[in-house]
Amino acid sequence: MSLRPAIVFALFRNELRMILRDKRTIITAVLLPLIITPLMLAGSSHTRKKREATLQSKVYQFAITGTNVAEIRTVVQLTEERLSAQAKTNASVFKFKEVENTNSIAALNRGVLDFVLEGFIEESGSNDPPSEPRTAVRIVYRADRDDSSTGMDKMWSALERTDRNRRYELLQSRGFPVQPGELATVEKADLATPAHAAGLTLGKMITLFLLVFILSGGAIAANDLLAGEKERGTLETLLTTSASRVEIIAAKHLTTLSIAGFITVVQIGNLMMYVGFRVIPISTKFAAAITPGVALLLLMLFLPVAALLSSVLLLTSGFAKSYKEAQLYFLPVTLIAILPALAPMLPDVPLRSIICLMPIANIAIAAKEILIGWYDWPMIALAWLVTAGTGAWLTKLSVSFLSAERLITAGVSKDLPPTDGAGWFSRRVGIWFAILWAVVWIVNSYTATADVRVQVTVNLVGLFFIGSLLMLWRYKLNWRETLAFRAPKPAVWLGVLCGIPGGLLTASGLSRLTTSLVPVSPETMEEFSRAVIPEGVTLGELIFFLALLPGFFEEFTFRGLLLNGLSRRMHPVAVVIVVGLVFGIFHFALFRLVGTAFLGILFAALTLMTGSIFPAMIWHACNNALALITETIGIPIMELDWWMYGIGVVLLAMAFWIFWRERKPYPGLRWRRRDP
Amino acid sequence: MTEFSVRVQDLRKIYYEEGRGEVRAVDGISFECRPGEIFGLLGANGAGKTTTLRMLATILKPTSGAAYVLQHEVTKEPEAVRRNLGFYSATTALYPRLTARETLDFFARINGYPADRVRERVEKLIARFGITEYANARVDRLSQGMKQKVSIARTVVHDPPVLIFDEPTVGLDVLNALEMQKVIAEFRAEGKAILFSTHIMSEAEKLCDRIAIVHRGRIHACDTFENLRAASGKRYLEDIFVHFIERANEAVALEKPSA
Repeated sequence: MSLRPAIVFALFRNELRMILRDKRTIITAVLLPLIITPLMLAGSSHTRKKREATLQSKVYQFAITGTNVAEIRTVVQLTEERLSAQAKTNASVFKFKEVENTNSIAALNRGVLDFVLEGFIEESGSNDPPSEPRTAVRIVYRADRDDSSTGMDKMWSALERTDRNRRYELLQSRGFPVQPGELATVEKADLATPAHAAGLTLGKMITLFLLVFILSGGAIAANDLLAGEKERGTLETLLTTSASRVEIIAAKHLTTLSIAGFITVVQIGNLMMYVGFRVIPISTKFAAAITPGVALLLLMLFLPVAALLSSVLLLTSGFAKSYKEAQLYFLPVTLIAILPALAPMLPDVPLRSIICLMPIANIAIAAKEILIGWYDWPMIALAWLVTAGTGAWLTKLSVSFLSAERLITAGVSKDLPPTDGAGWFSRRVGIWFAILWAVVWIVNSYTATADVRVQVTVNLVGLFFIGSLLMLWRYKLNWRETLAFRAPKPAVWLGVLCGIPGGLLTASGLSRLTTSLVPVSPETMEEFSRAVIPEGVTLGELIFFLALLPGFFEEFTFRGLLLNGLSRRMHPVAVVIVVGLVFGIFHFALFRLVGTAFLGILFAALTLMTGSIFPAMIWHACNNALALITETIGIPIMELDWWMYGIGVVLLAMAFWIFWRERKPYPGLRWRRRDP
Repeated sequence: MTEFSVRVQDLRKIYYEEGRGEVRAVDGISFECRPGEIFGLLGANGAGKTTTLRMLATILKPTSGAAYVLQHEVTKEPEAVRRNLGFYSATTALYPRLTARETLDFFARINGYPADRVRERVEKLIARFGITEYANARVDRLSQGMKQKVSIARTVVHDPPVLIFDEPTVGLDVLNALEMQKVIAEFRAEGKAILFSTHIMSEAEKLCDRIAIVHRGRIHACDTFENLRAASGKRYLEDIFVHFIERANEAVALEKPSA
C-alpha cells in the first residue's frame, strides 16, 4: 500500500496541533517535570546535606550498663583520648558523651540516649585450649532512628580501632616487633579506564532511564491520538476519509515519536542542567564515557526501541475505550516494558547469548557493552534487527488494529467464534507454545547439570509429549488428523533418502557460515560437545536418546501440533518459517539457532507437502543419528570442503523436487484466506 | 442503462456478541442510488441502517455480499470508495482544538483534494455556510448550530459525488433540523447521490425520492412514497411503516415452528 507523504504530513500536523493546544499535555509533560524535577532534586539535596551536617556535628549521648562497667569505661576513655588528638586537625571527628541514667533502655526508646554500651560476659566456645570467659560490649541502638544508627556505626568503628591498637600494644609488649602498617600490604590494580568504569554504571541505567522518559512522553501523545480520538468521536470521522489506515498510523507514530523524543530531550537537558549546577552529584568521568561517536551509535540503537514503544503505546491506547482507561493501562504497560531494560543489571549476561533475540533487553545489553568499550558488531547488528523487526511487526499490528471494528463498535462485535476444538486450538496454539517454552526453560535451568539421558527424557517425554497430549485432550482434537498420521506416497521415501545427507550437509554448511560471521568461543563448542556426547555412554544409547526419541517426540509436538494449529490461520509459507523458528528457539542456544531452525523449516515443508508426519519423523531421527555417527567416528562435518556442502544442497533440491511431484494435500491447509 | 452511484447487493453483516450469540445486523440488503437522488433508509433503532451505511463507508467489513460506490467495491478499493464519499452522522465529531478554517483545510487535504485549490475551496464553503465570522474560532467554543454547519462543510469539502447522512438530525433543535434538511435538498439539486437514514417519518416523507423500510437487517419494502402508499393502502408514512413491519413480523412468526 502506498504511503502519500502529503497526506501523512497533513495528518501529522493536525495531530501535533491537537496535542500542543491541549493544556494538560503541556502542563503534565513539559511544565511539571521542568518545575518538579529541580524542586525534588534541590529539596532532596538540601535535606541530605542538612542531615549529614547534623549527624556530623552531633555529640552522641550514651550510657554504660551491664557487667564490667569500669573496664568498658576505660576503653571508651582511651577511644576518646585518641579521637580528641584527631579533633585538632579534623573538626568532623566523632564526639560522644556519657550520660548517667538508671533506666538506660527506656531512655534509648524515648530518644534521650542515642545508644547504650552494655557489658556482658562472653562464654568461650572452645575448650581446647581452655580459655577464660571475657568481657564483651554490646551496642544497643534503634535502627528506626537515624542518629541512633549513625551513632552505633561510629562507636562500633571507634571501639574496634581502639581494640586493635590495644592488641598491637600487647603484642609489642610481649616481644613481637610489629607495627600496624607492616602487617600486610594489599594494593589494587584496575585495567579498566575510569571512563569504562563509569560506562558500566551508566550502561546499567541508561536504557531504563530513556525508557521511562520515552514511555511517559509517548503515552501522553498516544493516549490522546487513539483513546482520546475515540472518546471525542473524531476517530470515526477520520476513518471515513480517504486517508489509508497505514497513513493514519504512520502519522500517529510520527507524532508519538516526536512528542516522546521532545520530552526525552527536555528531561535529559533538565538533568544535565542540574548536573552542571552540581545539584545532582555525578562523576565527571561519565562525560568521558560518551564520546560523540558513542552518542550517535546509542541514538541509532535507541531509535528502534522508541519505535517499538510507540507501537506498544498506540496499541494500548487503541485497546482502551476512553482516555481514562488508557491512563489506567499505562502503569502495567510501563512495568512490563521496563522489565527487559533491567537486563544490564543481571550479572554476566553478554550480548552474545540468547538475550540477543529478546527485544529491548538486547539493546540495553548492547548499550552497556558499548559504554564499557566492547564493540561486538555482528551481535549489535543482530540486536538492532531483532528490536527493529519487532517494532515493525507491532506497527503492522497497530495498522490491523485500526481496521478492527471494535474500535468503532465499542467492542461488542467479534468475528464468529470457532465451532470446533480445532478452530479454538488454532487461536490458542501460540499461547500454549509460549507457556511450553517457559516451562522447558525453567525445568532446564534445574536439570542443566544432569546426565544427557535424563535431560532428554524430561524434555521430550515429560514436557513435549505430555504438553502435546494436554493440547489434544483440551481441544478434543482428532489425533490422527491433527498429527497427520497417514502414509505418504511411496516415492516420498526416496526423497527422504536423498534428504537425510543433503539436509545434514546443508545445515552444517549454514551453521559454519553463521559461525564465521558470528564467532562462537571454542569453550562453548567444547562444552556443548561434552554435554551431548558424555563419556561412558554407548553409541547405541546415544542414538536412542538423541536420535530416535527426538525424531518421534519433537516431530509429534512441532510438526504435529504446532504445524496443525498454525496451518489453519496462516499462509503455508509463513507456517513453515514460523514452525522452523519456534523449533530453533526451543533449542535455547544462540549458535544452534540457524542450523536447528533450518532443519525445522525443512521438516515443516516436508510435512505440508507430503501430507504426512512420518517422513519428517524418519528424516529427523536419521539426521541426528548420522550427526552422532560422524562425530563419533571422527568425521569433522563442520570442517569439510565447501564443495561437499554444495553436494548437500543438490541432494536437498532433489529431495524436495520428489516431494513436490509426489505431494499430497495436508488436511485443512488453505493457500488463500478466502479459500473454503 | 442508468449509471448508479451506489449499488448494494445482498449485503450481510453477521457477528458474535457475548450473551446474545450470533447477531444478523444486516441480513441480505440490496438497493441502488442514482446521482441527484435521495435514497432513504427508514427503520427503528437497531434495524441495521447504521451498520449498512458503515459498511458502505468501509468502516465495517461485510460478512458477505458486495457494495459499490462509483464502480469501486468497498472491500477491494476502500480508499477509492472513501475518496468519493462524504459521511455525516451524529457520531462523527470534529476536532475540538482546531478552528473551523483549519478543520476544513485538514479534511480537504487528507481526502486528496488538489493542494493548490484547497484554500479557494475552503473559503467558498465558509462563505456558503455563513461561517465567516467564526472561521478562526476553535470548534469547542462554537454553538451546536455552528458546529453543525462546520460539520456539513467538512462532509462535502472534497466535493464527493456520494453523500451519506446517518440520522443527521438526532439531537438537533427544530430550526437546526430544518436547516439540515434544506442543505441536503440543495446537495440533491447539485446532482449528488444521497443516502439518508432516519427513524423520523416526516423527514423521510419530505426529503426522500425513494424509501426503503428496514427491519431486523432486511429491506421489507423499497419504492417512492406514492408507490408505498398504493402498495399498503395507507395514507401516512407512519401507517405504511407499521403495515410493512407487521407483515414482516407475521412472516417471521409463520416461519417459526409452533410450540
